[in-house]
Amino acid sequence: MTSPEKGYVLQVDDLDVRYSSEIDVLRGVSFALQPNEIVGLIGASGAGKSTLLRAIQRLVEPSSGSVRLGGTELTTLGSAELRDARRRMGMIFQEHALVDRLTVMENVLCGTLGRTGFWQAIRRTFDAADVTEAFRLLDRMGLDGYQDRRCDELSGGQKQRVGIARALIQDPELLLVDEPTASLDPAASVRIMTLISEVCAENGLAAVINLHDVPLARRFCPRILALHEGRIAFDGPPAGLTDAVLTQVYGEEAVEPHVSRRSSDEVDGAD
Amino acid sequence: MPTEAARAWRPPPRIANASARRGLWIVATAYAVFALFTVDVDAARIAEGAARAADFFGGWLRPDFFTRWSDIRMGLVESLAMTVVATAAGFVLAIPFGLGASRNLAPAPVYAGCRGALAVFRAFHEVLVAILFVAMFGFGAFAGVMTLVVATIGFLGKLLAEAVEEIDPAPLEALTAAGAPWASRIAFGVLPQVMPRILGLTLYRLDINFRESAIIGLVGAGGIGATLITAFARYEFESVSAILMLIISMLFVAELLSGRLRRRLL
Repeated sequence: MTSPEKGYVLQVDDLDVRYSSEIDVLRGVSFALQPNEIVGLIGASGAGKSTLLRAIQRLVEPSSGSVRLGGTELTTLGSAELRDARRRMGMIFQEHALVDRLTVMENVLCGTLGRTGFWQAIRRTFDAADVTEAFRLLDRMGLDGYQDRRCDELSGGQKQRVGIARALIQDPELLLVDEPTASLDPAASVRIMTLISEVCAENGLAAVINLHDVPLARRFCPRILALHEGRIAFDGPPAGLTDAVLTQVYGEEAVEPHVSRRSSDEVDGAD
Repeated sequence: MPTEAARAWRPPPRIANASARRGLWIVATAYAVFALFTVDVDAARIAEGAARAADFFGGWLRPDFFTRWSDIRMGLVESLAMTVVATAAGFVLAIPFGLGASRNLAPAPVYAGCRGALAVFRAFHEVLVAILFVAMFGFGAFAGVMTLVVATIGFLGKLLAEAVEEIDPAPLEALTAAGAPWASRIAFGVLPQVMPRILGLTLYRLDINFRESAIIGLVGAGGIGATLITAFARYEFESVSAILMLIISMLFVAELLSGRLRRRLL
């Protein structure tokens, strides 16, 4: 167990998540994140990647262990304090998780609901500073002029960019990104990952990015965490991801993709 | 290609036991015969009724809008007012009950309480509820409005809860992750997903309420039903015919308008 130290954005110590007494989803997960550090989280389906992100946010309650954001211990917070802490972490979701029937602008401003009063939000009289920031972010996302379009009219890549703007308008210290490219084609995936790395650099954000695509993780993340059956099996730079490590994380079939074994289910399962 | 022996296939019978199957037929036929005698089919009364029916349908062909026009107008205006007020009030009150009765939003005790309340609201037919309210509040539109409010809460509350239980949880989770408080999460994460459907159902309830307002008037709860039962009691079939025609045409208009509105909402 590492002791609480200043200078880390996020410190996860000995984190356990148990859904029932039988199944341990996460077992003794520990890692710490420096400011500006971008970590790619890889592992087979069911290894606990999404659960780890959700447990950091306490969308899933950790069974034991500690999560510190800056100096704040999250696992013991009451509901009002937890809401304040959640505002400091921007989350980007697998299937965008936008409210389809609302407009692009409304979805982006949803990121400010932690600090905007209920009646103010209902009447759509958001703070001028927030609206200005929302326009700036839409511009940055290449969605200039899209503010009044309904989200169900957008393409997958555009939706994901609205999701990124919604996370950024929280003015977070950290981004938690869950499979941002899961529903995108390869070219759009690269564009979204480029955008995420750029905005992290521009805003001095640390990020944990959950990725099923190992080459994308190698390309965009200077540090890789690999989960295997709820434990950290690897923590280091992409260069350390040897065939031996990948075999341990994904099983035999994943390592030599040039060998024709595409018909086996395990390959798809590992994706 | 090798030829195979022909194979027969029949669907398996619902009741596997053949004697049980025959026994059921015999019992059902015997009961039908017994029941027919019980209801006392009487040729003389049928003939008598046919004569009255001729009278009635004769009146039906000569609708009279004018003799009782002021009563009819008052009844229609009252029914319309009852319908609109009850639907609006029922809609507003159905929202808290519906949210409370959604398993994915409400804690267990609130869920049980709201489900129970909605079940009670829906337990009795409007006519029974109207009789109760007329006994409590006296004859007139107020008892009718109360009846329709209760029915509307039961109807919309249950359907709202069902719609809420089917929402996509991801946007709601995203708002939770952004630190949004409960009320904002409902307003932005839940209601936009269910509102088009609920507004559509409210429009549908609006014309159910109009029809019901004619029925509960028969037991003294005001509206066009009261006018209708008076006309029946006086054997003024021409007025009855006029009233029924007006009810039907108003429902047609409501159908047209709500159809148009629904298309715009979705």
